[in-house]
Amino acid sequence: MEEKKKTEERDAAQALIDNTKEIEAGVTEAPASSAKEAGTADDENKLFRKYKIKDIVFLAIMAACMLVTGSIMPLVGNIPLFGIVQVCLGLQFSVFPVIGMMKVRKAGALLFMSVCCGVVLVFMSTVMFVCILLCAVIAEVLTGLIFRSYKRDGASLFAGTVFFPCTLPFLYIYYNFLYTSQADDGTAVSAFIGADPAVAIGMSIAVVSVCFIGALVGMIISRELRKSGVIKK
Amino acid sequence: MNFFRYKSKLFPLIAIGAGLFIVIYGLIMADDLLGCSIFLGGAFVWLILFGCGRACLRALPAFAVVAGIFFAIFYAATGTWVAGWSMANRFGAVFLAVVPGMGCEPVRMTRSLSQVHTPRPITLGMLIAMSFVPMLRGEIRRVREAMKTRGAGSVLNPRILYRAFLVPFVMRLVNIADTLALSVETRGFALGKAPYTIYKKECIALSDILFAVGLIAGAVLVAVL
Repeated sequence: MEEKKKTEERDAAQALIDNTKEIEAGVTEAPASSAKEAGTADDENKLFRKYKIKDIVFLAIMAACMLVTGSIMPLVGNIPLFGIVQVCLGLQFSVFPVIGMMKVRKAGALLFMSVCCGVVLVFMSTVMFVCILLCAVIAEVLTGLIFRSYKRDGASLFAGTVFFPCTLPFLYIYYNFLYTSQADDGTAVSAFIGADPAVAIGMSIAVVSVCFIGALVGMIISRELRKSGVIKK
Repeated sequence: MNFFRYKSKLFPLIAIGAGLFIVIYGLIMADDLLGCSIFLGGAFVWLILFGCGRACLRALPAFAVVAGIFFAIFYAATGTWVAGWSMANRFGAVFLAVVPGMGCEPVRMTRSLSQVHTPRPITLGMLIAMSFVPMLRGEIRRVREAMKTRGAGSVLNPRILYRAFLVPFVMRLVNIADTLALSVETRGFALGKAPYTIYKKECIALSDILFAVGLIAGAVLVAVL
C-alpha cells in the first residue's frame, strides 16, 4: 500500500518535472522564433519596409518643425533674388529631415515629411510645394540607387544634403521662363536677379553648403541621441 | 435639409481649394495692378461673409506690415510705386490664401479627407503636423526657460544653441512622439486597410457652393473686364 503511494508520488513528481521542462523549452524556443520573424519583417538592410504608427507620428512631428521654421517662406519667397528661399530655409529643411530619416530608416520617410509639410506650405508658396515634392522623390531615388538602404548614416546625410538644393534647377526654370514681367518697351524680362548665371551659381554653392551643414548637424544630434538611448536603432 | 442651411464654417475641401485658387490667381494676376487688387478686396469681403471674418482680421495686420515694408523697399529701389504695388498684390494673395485654411480646424480637415478615402498615414500625419504647431511653441518656450534657469547663455552662440537648445529640444520631441504613438495605438488607430467609422461627417452645404461659385465668378469678371 505504502509502496503504491510512493510510486504514485514519484510519477506525479516526474510528470511535474516533465511539464516544467516542456514549458522551459517552449519559452526558450519562442523568443528565437519571434526574433526570426521580426528579423524578416523589420530587416534594416531592406529599402522598403512597412511603416508603423510610431514612425508616422515621429515624421509628422518633424514635418511640423519644418513647417514652423519654414513659415518665413512667403516673406522671402517674393524677394527677387534667385535661391534666397533655399539659403534662408536650407538649414531647417536639412536638420529636421535628417533627424527624421536617422530614426525612421525607411524609404519614403523624406517624401512623407514633404507631403505633411507641403499641405500648409502650398498656400504660402505653391511653386515651392511642387518643387519640394519633386525633389523629395528625386532625393529618395538617388539615395536608393547609391546606398540601397537607409542603414548607413551616410544615406540620411546624402538625402538631407541633396533634398533642398534639388529645388534650384526647377526654380531657375520657373524664374527665367515663367516669372517674367513686361518692360517699358513691351519685352518680357525676368523679374528675378537670377537670370544672370553667375548669381545663380554663387547662390547654388551657398545653398549646397548651408544644406550640408544642416544635414551634418542633424546627423550629429541623432547620433548623440542614439548614444544616450533616446533614439533606438 | 442640411444642404440648404447656412454654415458659419466652410467645407474643408472647398476651403483648401479656395486657398489654392486665390494664391495661384493672385500670383498670376499680380502685375495687373488694379484688377488683382479689386479681386483680392472682393475675396476678402467674400471670406468675411462666409464665416472667415476672424481669420481675415487676424491676417490683416500681418499683411499690412509685411506688404508695407516690401512696398517701401521696392519703391525705394525702383523709384516707382508700380513694383511696390505688384509686390503688395502678391503678399495680399499669399495672406488671403492662408485665411480659409486658418478658419478650418485640423480635425474637420482630417474627417473630410477620410471621407474621400485619403490613405490613413497621410491623414494622421497631416492631423499631427497641423495640430502640433501650437504645442511646438510651448516646447520651445520651455526649453528656453530651462536654459535661463541653468544660466546657459545666449542662443546666438552656436555651441550653446546646439548643446543647450537643439539636443534637449529634439530629445523632448522624440519623447512626445513615443507617447503620442502609444496614445494613438491605444485608441484603436490602425494603418492599412482596416475599416473605420467617421462619427461626425462633414457635409457640403449650399453656402459652400455659393462661396466657390462667387469666388470663381469674381475672378472671371476681373479677368474679362
